[in-house]
Amino acid sequence: MSQEIAVIGSPEFTTGFRLAGVRKCENVPEDEKDDRLDEAVEETLADDGIGIVVMRDEDLDHLSRTVRRDVEGSVEPVLVTLGGGAGSGLREQIKRAIGIDLMDEDE
Amino acid sequence: MANDVKPTRKNLMEIEDRIDLSERGHDTLEQKRDGLIMEFMDILDQAQDVREQLEADYDTAQDKINKARAMEGDVAVRGAAAALKEHPEITTQSKNIMGVVVPQIESSKVKKNLDERGYGVLGSSARIDEAADAYEELLESIILAAEVETAMKKMLEEIETTKRRVNALEFKLLPELNENKEYIEQKLEEQEREEIFRLKKIKAKKEEEEKEEEEEREAAAKAEAEAIETGVAESDD
Repeated sequence: MSQEIAVIGSPEFTTGFRLAGVRKCENVPEDEKDDRLDEAVEETLADDGIGIVVMRDEDLDHLSRTVRRDVEGSVEPVLVTLGGGAGSGLREQIKRAIGIDLMDEDE
Repeated sequence: MANDVKPTRKNLMEIEDRIDLSERGHDTLEQKRDGLIMEFMDILDQAQDVREQLEADYDTAQDKINKARAMEGDVAVRGAAAALKEHPEITTQSKNIMGVVVPQIESSKVKKNLDERGYGVLGSSARIDEAADAYEELLESIILAAEVETAMKKMLEEIETTKRRVNALEFKLLPELNENKEYIEQKLEEQEREEIFRLKKIKAKKEEEEKEEEEEREAAAKAEAEAIETGVAESDD
């Protein structure tokens, strides 16, 4: 089954992706992120037609703890964050599974 | 718990079999965990390269769209973005790395020609085209990053599970089984010692009884002999 890419973030962030043809864009203005971002992420995660979710790394701080944990651990769709390295969730998972912070060592 | 098992030879044999099986399982799982970690290290190197490329592409794309916004205006950029007709699609296949199913993502319609974009050649400028190009490249990097990072997540989950199993066998199940084995062995030895002691006691008692009987018999024989002797002496008189 073919899937699409979804982008969640401020209109400034999503415009570029629309220019590349992405049509599943959740626009959440900067000042409404604390209220609306959780809902937008939950809706996107529930959509079977989406394979990849793109977000800005700093937008994850606006999410509630459960939604953040869900989106960071999600494999279908998988989250790709931009602007903040490999993401704190993945780094924490590496520390837990391997026992050492491999990302820190290689940086 | 050691007190829950009955100290019988049958139970001892069963526990020895379980210890053998658990030790073999422990070794196999340890090998699996080490193998997964080695595979993960390879993917980690690849993931870091992909990440660096992704961040570089993101910076370039942002730079290009900011320039387009500054020169053409936000409305023109949004207008061009709204006119797009072709949408990128991804299809996922899977491959197996040491029992872990990881995705292989294939994409289509990410890179588009100018005429495929749909906003027209006359309606836009070179800066918008450059921004669109940069974002198409960014999408390709995102798809690659998604594939590699999903593989990493899945492998990390499997490593964690395997590690938990190894630790459960090493620090919970095997010590408990060994404790049970020791308990049964001690109990059986104790029973054996008791049995030997009992046998010795019985033997000693039997020997004592036999000795008493012998003494009695000897005393009786002596008395009889004395009686006969006295009888003979009387008849001589």
